[in-house]
Amino acid sequence: MAGRGMSRMRAWAARARGFFGRQGRDGQFEDELQEHLNLLKERFVAQGMSSPDATAAARRQFGNTTLLCEDRRELRTLVSLEDLGRDFHYAVRALGKSRGFAMVAMVTLALGIGASTAIFSVIDNIMLSPFPYKNPGEMVFLRVVDTQSDSHGRQGYTAPEYLELAEQNHVFSATTAAAEDLVLYKHGEGTDQFYGAHVTPGTFEFFGMPAMLGRVLQPADYEPGAPPVFVMRYKTWVTRFDGDPSILGKTMVLNETPRTLVGIMPPRFGWYEADVLIPEKPMRGAKSSFAGIMVNWFFLGRLKPGVTKEQAEADATVILQGLARVNPQAYPQHFTVKAKKLGDTVVGQFEATLLTALAAVALLLLIGCGNVANLMLARATARAKEFALRSVLGAGRARLVRLQLVESLVLALGGAAIGVLIAWGGLKGLVAALPQNVIPAESVIELNAPVLAFTLGVAVLTALIFGLAPALQAARRDLNDPLRDSGKGVSGGFQTGRLRDAVVVVEVAMSLVLLIGAGLFMRSFVALRATPLGLRADHVYQVQLLLPRSRYEKAAQMRSFFEPLLARLKAVPGVVEASESSSIPPYGGVESRVEIAGKTHAEDWHALIQHVSEGYFRVLRIELKLGRGFTETEVNDARKVAVVNETFVQKYFPHQENPMGQRVRLSMLQSMGDPVAEPWFEIVGVVGDVTNLGLQAPTEPEVWFPYTVTGSGAQVLMVRTKHDPALIANELRRAVWSTDSGVALDHPSTLEDRINARVFAGPRFSFLVMTIFGCVGLVLVTIGVYSVLAYATARKTHEIGIRMALGAERRDVLEMVVRGGLGLVFAGIGVGLAVSLVLGRVITAQLNGVPAHDPATLAGTVLVVIATGAMACWIPARRAARLDPNVALRYE
Amino acid sequence: MTEAKKSEVLQGTLDLMILKTLHALGPQHGFGIARRIEQVSRDVLQLNEGTVYTSLLRLLQQGWIVAEWGLSENNRKAKFYSITPRGEKQLAVETENWERISGVVGRVLRLEGEG
Repeated sequence: MAGRGMSRMRAWAARARGFFGRQGRDGQFEDELQEHLNLLKERFVAQGMSSPDATAAARRQFGNTTLLCEDRRELRTLVSLEDLGRDFHYAVRALGKSRGFAMVAMVTLALGIGASTAIFSVIDNIMLSPFPYKNPGEMVFLRVVDTQSDSHGRQGYTAPEYLELAEQNHVFSATTAAAEDLVLYKHGEGTDQFYGAHVTPGTFEFFGMPAMLGRVLQPADYEPGAPPVFVMRYKTWVTRFDGDPSILGKTMVLNETPRTLVGIMPPRFGWYEADVLIPEKPMRGAKSSFAGIMVNWFFLGRLKPGVTKEQAEADATVILQGLARVNPQAYPQHFTVKAKKLGDTVVGQFEATLLTALAAVALLLLIGCGNVANLMLARATARAKEFALRSVLGAGRARLVRLQLVESLVLALGGAAIGVLIAWGGLKGLVAALPQNVIPAESVIELNAPVLAFTLGVAVLTALIFGLAPALQAARRDLNDPLRDSGKGVSGGFQTGRLRDAVVVVEVAMSLVLLIGAGLFMRSFVALRATPLGLRADHVYQVQLLLPRSRYEKAAQMRSFFEPLLARLKAVPGVVEASESSSIPPYGGVESRVEIAGKTHAEDWHALIQHVSEGYFRVLRIELKLGRGFTETEVNDARKVAVVNETFVQKYFPHQENPMGQRVRLSMLQSMGDPVAEPWFEIVGVVGDVTNLGLQAPTEPEVWFPYTVTGSGAQVLMVRTKHDPALIANELRRAVWSTDSGVALDHPSTLEDRINARVFAGPRFSFLVMTIFGCVGLVLVTIGVYSVLAYATARKTHEIGIRMALGAERRDVLEMVVRGGLGLVFAGIGVGLAVSLVLGRVITAQLNGVPAHDPATLAGTVLVVIATGAMACWIPARRAARLDPNVALRYE
Repeated sequence: MTEAKKSEVLQGTLDLMILKTLHALGPQHGFGIARRIEQVSRDVLQLNEGTVYTSLLRLLQQGWIVAEWGLSENNRKAKFYSITPRGEKQLAVETENWERISGVVGRVLRLEGEG
């Protein structure tokens, strides 16, 4: 057996050699034949024939040389194109004769191929080539990294830093920079907000993209005294202005400057995710922006041809170290510059989710392959006679293998065609389920050429996977047996049976792995949902407010806006309570160093600090543990009082001291745009912990203080309502604009919707995708187990008839079939569990609060697989047990 | 053409005969092999000499024979085939096989003749 395998391998190797080195050798072979003919002819001449007669005789004796050369080619090469065409034609015809089989096989494959196409198109469009710009691979951004800490480093630069980098570098062929700016857009009714970006001269040349309508920014737009203009992004144009082309050339008041819209960009332009792009030439001499934060330019450079990332890093490090000598306090003591590819800014953690999903679809595809392979094996057994006949009529083994492979390929291509349709439909759902914040603005998720090429590749690969075993099986078969065999008697070829069983075991194992993955993600998602927030998010509406900075800078100005607004809101029917805040759960405020009067400590103490109005704790139903919340008078008088959370007390008053009346210093407030001179606050209350760094991280110490103390920081409005909070949206907008029509509302929504979109969307995506794939996998495996058993029992009908005639009870028959089937299921479960335990480690990082070997999940999944397996066994078993022995014995 | 197609059984025997020839005579070129088989079979077998080369190729691929270029007796360039140790082993197996089968077939035929 082994020897035969070896010699077959050698023959294949020889063929492969022949395939590549055909040209030269053919000539030699023909020479050899010609020489033989010459010798024969000479012999005939010597026997007294005339030369022409001798030639003819030699030909006769030698046979047809052309045919011989073809024979040889057939022997020596892998495939000839004509034959392949014939095989295709034949395969289509053969499949056309058994449409049922072909449809089942193609749909099974289509599920797997469709799912992998859909997932791959997400991966391709988000991860592999999200950017439509000219040579995006050359684009890098720079990070200043402190070599003595493991922090991310900073990636924003001051204008002088940018200019220095742009002018002094030797590694970039072009540079550009963008600075974020919240843009208030004043219109007739009130004010809206855009995400704006100030962009440096040459930005559009850098990306190499023309405008879709109008023009891009030109050098003249950057000249001092040039008429103010701006360019708009496609998405903003469509969603905010209904794609109305007449707005081109109109003037809009942006941040109190009238600017003319000169261009609208094509759909895939999404640089800096900016709604509007405003020309700005960075100048040496810093300028402050919204909410008193320094302008940060995000730098992007295009590497010169042949320049590596490392060379760019070295060059930029030298430049910035030069600046650090002049201005040391702006840099870490020891730092280097790291260059990152443009794509590294987005996706991040989500990459793991997508790769897990890809692995899941690969499993799904393999299960599908298993099913189709089993169908093919069964079909091959049924067609054994046909193949034997073909062999006897002269078809070589290679030819039979090829015939089967081509048939597989036709099935796979059919499956791929249906699969593309499935992917096309499924992609819409998938895109809707994708967490929006992980998708680069530039990417459009669609079935494009690379994705379709991937699908084709997958189809060919699957054809090889599911087609090879049946093909080899067909080729190995003994010529005589099938012709003699009438199809009766003891179950079909022992080896085919074995192979089919093995396929089922593997299928069950893979589906178990898939289901365990789905179960873990589901548990993880449920655990995440069940994480106590420490507050009640229901019936709350929230919106961030953007106040024009020219009029709102100081604490008193803020108060003059919020005091009447909050009073107005509380008077709206259905509103229970309204409050100001500086952040939105489940995130707390900004981090600040803290000191506590009378306490000394070696290490730095930190807390998140957040400013609020007196209604905050009531709006969010945050539990008061000690003392009291703020009073209206305290807030209106801007008293320096504070409420802290329980973690703060446990961490900084560990010895049961009474925190009430203690004084805490919030150092951060000293260095804000609207600084607080003596930031000492008296603690008046303690509240329960509220998640303040997202759901997965432990709660940090937190301090709340009246919003009237400083004008810096973000401004958020929170409203608790009696009924559906979404109904308050219009009232809220009216209240804001009637207080000041120059204030914009940013992302108004219910608090629950916001938390869903920002916090749960990612885990929900994993869980949804895995659950869908897990269920499809389970269905496929059920069909797989069922069809193998059904086929085996059908083959055994005669045998069962004999058994029953000899006295076997129906129960015995039932037991025999079920035991056979469940044996395979259990073997598969064993393998699947082992594989899951190994693979579990890979997904641990994506799980929240559930270990990868979570016993409950494992047990539940195994039960589900056993139950469906038993069901799949039961139907053919019962059919077998109901056989009438008389009929069974006559069965052919 | 028909010769080549219906010769599934014949091919096998031709392989065997070629192996045996190379075993008995040592390295030979294709013409020599054909002559030897012709001579031994004494015109009983109508051999299409071209098929010798198909057979040789098959044997080469299995590694049972090797080929090298040399000079024939009349000083012409010719390819010489010789049997490999693995070919020898195969020859032994096939010979035994053949003898057993032909023996059985012979016995059966004799039985038929008597009956």
